[in-house]
Amino acid sequence: MRAPFRRLLATSLAAAALSTSAVVVAPSMAGAASKPTVATWAEAPQTPPNYIFPFMPLQYFSVSTINNFQFLMFRPLYWFGQGKTPNLNLQLSLANEPSYSNGNKTVTVNLKNYQWSNGEKVTADDVMFWMNMLHADKDQWADYTAGTGIPDDIDSITVNSPTKITFQLKAPVNTHWFTYNELSQISPMPLAWDKTSDAAGPGSGGCAKAAYGSADAKCDAVFTYLSKASGFDPANPKGANNSLSTYATNPLWQVVDGPWKLSKFDASGNVEFVPNTKYSGPIKPTLKKFVEVPFTTDTAEFNALVGGKIDVGYLPSANITSPAKSPFAAGPNNPRLKNFTLDPLYSWSINYFPYNFQSTGNDGNAGKIFSQLYFRQAFQTLVNQTAYISKIWKNYGIPTYGPVPTYPPNSYASSFEKSNPYPYSVSKAKALLTSHGWKVVPNGTSTCVRPGSAKNQCGKGIPAGAKLDFTLEYATGGTALAQLMNVEKSSWAQAGINVTLRGASFNTVLGHAIPCTAGESCDWQLENWGGGWVFAPDYYPTGEAIFQTGAGSNSGSYSSATADRLIKATTDGGASLTAYENFLAKDLPAVYQPNPVTSLTEIRKGLKGVTPQSPLFSITPEAWRF
Amino acid sequence: MLGYLVRRTLQAIVVILGVTLIVFLLSQLIPGGQARAALGPKATSVQIAHFNHVNGYDEPLWVQYWHYILNMVKGDFGYSYKNNQGVAQLIAERLPKTITLVGASTVLALVIAIPLGMAQAVRRNRPFDYVMTAASFILYAMPAFLIGELLILLFSFTLDWLPSQPPSDASAWAVFTNPVAFILPVVSLAALTIAAFSRYMRSSVLDTIAEDYIRTARAKGASPRQILWGHAMRNALLPIITLLGLSLPAIVGGALIIEDVFNYPGMGLLTVQAANNDDIPLILGTTLVATIATVVGSLLADVLYAAADPRIRLGGD
Repeated sequence: MRAPFRRLLATSLAAAALSTSAVVVAPSMAGAASKPTVATWAEAPQTPPNYIFPFMPLQYFSVSTINNFQFLMFRPLYWFGQGKTPNLNLQLSLANEPSYSNGNKTVTVNLKNYQWSNGEKVTADDVMFWMNMLHADKDQWADYTAGTGIPDDIDSITVNSPTKITFQLKAPVNTHWFTYNELSQISPMPLAWDKTSDAAGPGSGGCAKAAYGSADAKCDAVFTYLSKASGFDPANPKGANNSLSTYATNPLWQVVDGPWKLSKFDASGNVEFVPNTKYSGPIKPTLKKFVEVPFTTDTAEFNALVGGKIDVGYLPSANITSPAKSPFAAGPNNPRLKNFTLDPLYSWSINYFPYNFQSTGNDGNAGKIFSQLYFRQAFQTLVNQTAYISKIWKNYGIPTYGPVPTYPPNSYASSFEKSNPYPYSVSKAKALLTSHGWKVVPNGTSTCVRPGSAKNQCGKGIPAGAKLDFTLEYATGGTALAQLMNVEKSSWAQAGINVTLRGASFNTVLGHAIPCTAGESCDWQLENWGGGWVFAPDYYPTGEAIFQTGAGSNSGSYSSATADRLIKATTDGGASLTAYENFLAKDLPAVYQPNPVTSLTEIRKGLKGVTPQSPLFSITPEAWRF
Repeated sequence: MLGYLVRRTLQAIVVILGVTLIVFLLSQLIPGGQARAALGPKATSVQIAHFNHVNGYDEPLWVQYWHYILNMVKGDFGYSYKNNQGVAQLIAERLPKTITLVGASTVLALVIAIPLGMAQAVRRNRPFDYVMTAASFILYAMPAFLIGELLILLFSFTLDWLPSQPPSDASAWAVFTNPVAFILPVVSLAALTIAAFSRYMRSSVLDTIAEDYIRTARAKGASPRQILWGHAMRNALLPIITLLGLSLPAIVGGALIIEDVFNYPGMGLLTVQAANNDDIPLILGTTLVATIATVVGSLLADVLYAAADPRIRLGGD
């Protein structure tokens, strides 16, 4: 059998060699090193852009699609993000600062001298185009909230001149709120988009130049046409379409007022931009191309970083090798990334998870116990945020002590909120419970021994024998959140608060964490999706969406007349956020949680202009230079 | 044979319908349903109700399922809001990529594993067999991601011979624009399969060469080459044929870990992402494809087995 053995061995080796060499000798077109005039940027997994039309329905709404894709081509009326702050950036805005008059019922916007890439000016008609479409199709706009903000609070809009437009409001508004949360939503649209078919001429749709609110049917037809070109057919939302493959070639989307034009796009997220040579803004691109690269996983992205295939990426949390010096100053970089500089990015957000104040769980007692401020104080006092940030996130995190982000630096966060009203203290938590009629059993389950509504009793509706025994469902998928939940469970147990943890998918947690409906069973108690709330594109961190009575995203049905009054004063009146945030920092409408770093951005050494990074996630590669 | 095929095809249709019904019903248990998954945490109850109405998710379950089946027959598998694409489009985009990757690695594995297994059988209990057996066990025991990462570390980062990732363009054709970049994922996946296939082949050849007809051939003066290639090989291949048929679901379903490590978005990742996003139409679509592949693969294995072994008769023919 020696001969067959040799032959077999030779055949095997030859086959392997042939298979390998066949591909090795094939021509290679990849692997070219990044040229100094091309910059590549890593998309986080599962965030490839999938919608190009800025007027998008909620199902396509994505902060990354807006900030890392649409804004590169289509500039919003007002740009937010000034250095590391979320502030209004007038330099990059299409208009000068809005002026308010008539008791804050009239808003005047004066446009700057911007132009579209087809040579036309960005005019007040382009703003009216957006507003008319919003009037006609407000239900299709992702950020529409019935009864609050535009267009419901607008009485009329007048185009005074090509560069001036005036909004007449139904009632006075808080000027800061209106600029940051309402005008921030407007993106002027070019006349070239005002049509209902590919062959039709610019302006033939009859929406852009119509008087405000007078052309709903026409605007709806234009909206349908543009939405279809973006991949969404309002009349047949589940119908198949091939629009994504036409993004880079459809002439509609080549009319831009931003610094970049789309040159390549595919559904996997491979995106390439070239400079808009007619960009009239203050910072012109010097790169010849800006490339966005999709990644399936963090591992693949890290490998691409190590291999030097991308210029700006991120360090996955699993690959952090050294702790940060402080949350704001990066620690030593991963030793495999010597050619990169690490820069932490914190989003404009707070992290919390809701109590369900209407919960019928825990034998009908959960909601009643959560309604007691002393209990919420005890629960919060047992959350040692700074320790968790240090141990779990290697110092890359910010504590949340109230409804307003304390970092990045901003003028909204009050000194009271920043002072941490409920510092970690096991003894204080125990004392709070004991003094309100609970028999505290550390590492067991505390029970109510003094029922009643008096100050030293458990609280209204809580019977004797009621237990501090709750279920907390959290989103699985990341080890950090699981670690956090387990360490918090241990901490709560020190005061006899028994929390049973239950892992579920992100969407399952979201699906459970909805406000209770009267008459329906509603037994969820604590739900943590791990993300809290990001203030975008409502950049002014008011609470009407999350903590106002009956608000759609007030998951736990928190309700406080004082909070409602203070919230209203920040949107309709002239109040600053201070009273509102101080009250909610004390009243604890949710369990405030540590807010981990959003991205540990890796920037190739020699690439300038990437920092400071905007907390609103927007990127400005026109400022990047090798 | 024809009757057998008709019966199996009818059974397959019943199985496929049953699987779609089970997955459809299970998907309805997701809290918040498709609306919450698509609209996210900022959706109000009014927006969720509107979304459900527009998409027909407020209709009775049996009506929704009936519509799904009707549309499926017409080639419409539904729509993925997360991807802003039809499910059929997404599958049509990802499936060729997966077939290219898993198909290439399977061919490579066969080309190496069959001769290797035969060589081990011929040289059984000798140093070459011991070394190859040890290597097979090591490869077989290694997690796919570890093989991938080790190959990347060696050939991409240390030696700088090969790219660590193939082109990630949506088109499967993109890999042919830079085939060198396709070597590591194919080799990683093949390494696992070679280990399994070569072990099967070795055992099968050992069983075969102990048969009476081999002894008879040897007694009649047949050369070792004639015995191995002319008499033993065809019978020894039977288990491999079965394995190949049963690997069709993997070829279609994707190699999740390898796709993961090498940034190659194929069917495996699509399925996992659909599950993570509670993207119900996409979950149904990918499940359907996997079910069809399983049924067809099983049928194919039976038919090929019968073709390779005249002693086997299907369905009492």
